[in-house]
Amino acid sequence: MNLTTEFGNAAGTVRAVDGISFEMDPGETLGIVGESGSGKSMTALSILNLVPEPGRISGGQILVNNQDVVSMTSSELLEYRGGDVAMIFQDPMTSLNPVLRVGFQIEEAMRAHSRFDKRQAKERVIPLLQRVRIPSPQQRAKDYPHQFSGGMRQRAMIAMGLANEPSLLIADEPTTALDVTVQAQILELLKDLNRELGTAIILISHNVAVISSLCTRVMVMYAGRVVESGPTRQVFDHPEHPYTWSLLRSVPRVDERRHERLISIEGMPPDLSRLPSGCKFHPRCHFKVDRCSHEEPPLAEVAAEQEARCWVLMRNVSSQAQALKT
Amino acid sequence: MATVVPTTLEVAEELQIVGGDQLPEQVTLWQDAWRRLTRNRMAVIGMVIIGFFLVTAVVSFVWTPYDTWRQALGITYSGPSLAHPLGLDDYGRDILSRVMGGAGIALSVGVGASLVASAIGIILGLLAGFYRGKVDVLISLLINISYGVPDLLIALILVVLIGRGIQNIILAISITAWLGMARLVRGQTLALREREFVEAARSIGTKNLKILSRHILPNALGPIVVQATYLVPAAIIFEAFLSLLGLGVPPPAPSWGRMAVEGYKAIQIAPHIVLAPCVALSLTVLAFNWLGDGLRDAIDPRMRR
Amino acid sequence: MFPRREVTRGTLVYAFQRLVLITFTAVVVSSIVFIGVHQLPGNAFASEHRATAGTEAALLHHYHLDLPWPQQYVLWLEGLAHGDLGESLVNLGTQITPLLLREVKVSVTLGLAAVLVTIGVGMSLGVLAAIRQNTWVDYTASTAAVIGYSVPSFVWAFLLILLTVSGFYAWTGGAIYEDIGWGKIEQIPVPALALGLPYAAIVARLTRASMLEVIRQDYVRTAWAKGLSARVVILRHALRNALIPVATILGPLVTGIITGSVVIEYLFGIPGLGQEFVTSILSRDYNIVIGVFTFYAALVGLANLTVDLLYPLLDPRIRY
Repeated sequence: MNLTTEFGNAAGTVRAVDGISFEMDPGETLGIVGESGSGKSMTALSILNLVPEPGRISGGQILVNNQDVVSMTSSELLEYRGGDVAMIFQDPMTSLNPVLRVGFQIEEAMRAHSRFDKRQAKERVIPLLQRVRIPSPQQRAKDYPHQFSGGMRQRAMIAMGLANEPSLLIADEPTTALDVTVQAQILELLKDLNRELGTAIILISHNVAVISSLCTRVMVMYAGRVVESGPTRQVFDHPEHPYTWSLLRSVPRVDERRHERLISIEGMPPDLSRLPSGCKFHPRCHFKVDRCSHEEPPLAEVAAEQEARCWVLMRNVSSQAQALKT
Repeated sequence: MATVVPTTLEVAEELQIVGGDQLPEQVTLWQDAWRRLTRNRMAVIGMVIIGFFLVTAVVSFVWTPYDTWRQALGITYSGPSLAHPLGLDDYGRDILSRVMGGAGIALSVGVGASLVASAIGIILGLLAGFYRGKVDVLISLLINISYGVPDLLIALILVVLIGRGIQNIILAISITAWLGMARLVRGQTLALREREFVEAARSIGTKNLKILSRHILPNALGPIVVQATYLVPAAIIFEAFLSLLGLGVPPPAPSWGRMAVEGYKAIQIAPHIVLAPCVALSLTVLAFNWLGDGLRDAIDPRMRR
Repeated sequence: MFPRREVTRGTLVYAFQRLVLITFTAVVVSSIVFIGVHQLPGNAFASEHRATAGTEAALLHHYHLDLPWPQQYVLWLEGLAHGDLGESLVNLGTQITPLLLREVKVSVTLGLAAVLVTIGVGMSLGVLAAIRQNTWVDYTASTAAVIGYSVPSFVWAFLLILLTVSGFYAWTGGAIYEDIGWGKIEQIPVPALALGLPYAAIVARLTRASMLEVIRQDYVRTAWAKGLSARVVILRHALRNALIPVATILGPLVTGIITGSVVIEYLFGIPGLGQEFVTSILSRDYNIVIGVFTFYAALVGLANLTVDLLYPLLDPRIRY
C-alpha cells in the first residue's frame, strides 16, 4: 500500500490544511502531533474524503493503492471507506450507535463491503472481538455500547475498524478520552495489531508520549502545515523546529531536573482566518530572527530523513539561549 | 396543549470587556431577545396579525358595521357584496360584523384563559418546586393523573356543570390548562433552586418569598412567557371545539367556532359562511404560534449573537 | 430495524403496576364525575319527558335515583366491578356496557388510522426537511407544518369534505359520491386525515429538529467512515436515534388524538365513543356520560401504556 497525500484543504476561505504532503509504506506507523486547530484531524478526514461541509478538498491528490481518493466516484468511495482505509475516533462513548448491538455494528462494517459475504461476516465478529482482547466475546457481541466500559468500547471500535482488513487504520486521538492505565493497554494493542496484521497506522494525538510509544515516524503540524517530520526517536531527541522543541519541553520527564514552574508555550494557536505573515509560528517563537516575520520557510531536509520548516533551526541556537527559555 | 422544551437562563447584565478601545454595547437579556425577535420574519408577521385582530376586537366592543345579532339584513346566504363585504349567513346576519365580534370573543377567551391558567400554574408550580414536600406530592399527582384523562372531556363536563357564559368557559379551560404551566414552572424551580445565586441569597438571610419572587421567578420568566403565548391559541381552539359541540359561548354570541359549525351545514350552497370564521381562526392561531416560536428562539441562550 | 428484545420480569412488573394505576385512575375519575353529576339540581326526567307523577316515580325507582346518592354510588361501584355500567336514562332498557363496547371499536379504528397518518406523514416530512435542510424543500415543509397544526382539525375536516365529497362529485360529474359516515372502508381515510394532520405536523416538526441534532452526532460520522450508504446511515443510524425524543411525545399525542376524535366523530357522523359522549351530555343521559368517561379514562391509560412499553424497543438504554 502506498499512500501519498498532497492537498490544500480549504474550509471556506480558511485553509485548515495547507499543502501537506507525505508518504507511507505498508505496515508503517506514522504519528501526527499538533495542538487543536493544527489541522491534524482535517488531514485524517481528508484521507477518507469525509471533510464536513462547508469544507472541501481544494487541491492535490491522495493516492492509496494507486487510486486517487479525491477523484473517486461515490460508489468507489463507499467501498474504499472502511475497506482500504478505516478510521476510529476519539470518544468511543459517542462514536458507537447507542441503539444497535455492538456485534451488529461490527458485522455491518463487513456487510457493507464486498470482501466478506453475509455468512463470513457473521462468523468473523467473535474472532475479531477476541483479537482486540475483549473478554467473553460471545456475550459481548450481543450487548449494547452503554454496557461496555470505556476501554472496551475503544477496543470494539478498533475491531470494527479492522473488520475489513484495511491497509491503513487512522486513529484520531484514540486514547484521549480514556484513563491513563487504559490508554497504555490500547496503545499496546495497537502496536501488537500492527505487528500481527501488518496494518499501517496513522496515530493522531496532541500527546507526545502517546506518539512516541507507538509510531516509528512522526509529523508535527502547526496552522495546517507540516513544520517537522522524521523518525520519531530522532525528531524527539533532536528537534529542529522551535515548536517541536517547545512541545517536548512542556512534557515533564522523569529524568529531568525539576523546574520551579510548568513550562508551556506562550500565546495561543493562530486564528486560521488571520494568519501571521512569514513563518506562522514566529509570534510565539523564542528564537526568531528578522527573516521569520516576512518570509515563510520551506520544508527542508535538515538531517537524514528529517525535515523542518524553519530559518533558524534549533541546532543553531546556543545552549545558553535554550536554557534561558526554560 | 402544545409541548414546550424549557431552557433556563440568567438574568444578568452582559458585559463584554474586550481588550482595546472598542467596548461593545452592554445589552440586557431582554433587549437582546427583543432584537432577535424583531428580526424573525415569521414572528413579526405574527405580531402584525395579532395586532390587527386585537384592534378589531377592541373596536368590535364599541362598534360593528351592523349588530352582530341582527337578523334578516338582506337575503339569507347571500355572498359578498358592497354592503356586506363578507356576505350574510343563514339568518341574514352580517358576517363581517360577526367575525369582528368573534375576534373579541376569541381573544378574550384565549388571553383570559392563558392568564388565569398561567397565574394558577406559576403559583402552584413555584410552591411545588421550591418547598417540595406534601404540596409537591399532591401537585405532581394531579399532573400525572391529568395525563390519563383527556382535557376536552373534563372541560365539557365542567361547562355543563357550571353553565355557559364567557367567564365560565375561561374558567373551565383554565382548570385543564394550568397543569401544563405548573409542570413547566415546577421543573424550572427545581433546577433554579440549586443554583449558586439562590444559595448566596439564602446565606445572607433572604426570606423565601423574596427568593422566589426576586431570583427564581425572573429567571424562569422566559420559558413561562413562551408557554403562556402558546396557551392562547390552544385556548382559542379549545373554545372552538366547545362551540362546535354546542357547549361554547352561548348564542347569539358570534364565536368563530359556532359560526363555523353553523356555516358548515350550508357548506354546499354557501361556502363563504363557513370560510370566513375558519380563515380568521386559522390566521389567529397561526399568528400566535409564529410569535411563540419566535419568542422561544429569541430567548434561547444557545442562539445568542 | 428493531433488534429482538426480551420481555424481562421488570417489564411485566411495570406493566402490571401501570394497569393497576389505570384502573385506579378510571375509577377515581368516573367517581368524581358520578358525584358531580348527582349534585345537579332536579332530575333527568322532570323536564325532559313530562311524565305523569306516577311514571316519574316508577322511573326514579327503576334507576335507584330515589336513593341517597352515597348509596347509589356503592351500587354503581358494585356494578362496575362486574363490568356493568348500568342502563341508559334516555332509552329505557339499553344496556350501556355493550353499547359503549361497540362504539369503542369504532373509535379505536378511527384513532389507529389517525395515528398511522400522524406517524407516516409526519415522520416522512420531518426526515425530508432535515436531510434537505435550508433548501426550498425544508422551508416549504416547515411552513406547511406550522400551518398544519395551527389550522384546527375541524377546519381540516371541512376542507377535506369540500374536497372529497363535493369536489369528487363535481369533477366526475356525479359519478363518485361518498357520503360521510361510517361503515365502508373508503370512509375511513378522510376523517382519519382530518384528525391526524395537525398531529402529523407536530411530529414533522419534532422529527426534523431531532434528525438535525442526530446527524451531527459522532456515531453518524463513524457510520459514514465505515463506508455505509447514505440510505443506511440516514435510516438505520440517524432516524432510529432521532425517533427517541419523538416517542416521548407519543403519549400526549395519542391522548390528543383521542380528544380530537370527539369533534371529528361528531362532524362526520361516526358512531363512536366521542359522538356518544356529546349526545349523552346534550340529552342529559348521565348514566351514559359516566360510562363514557370511564371508558375514555381506561382508553387513554391503555394507549399511554402501550406507547411506554414501545419505548424500550427504540432505546435499549431504557429498561423497566
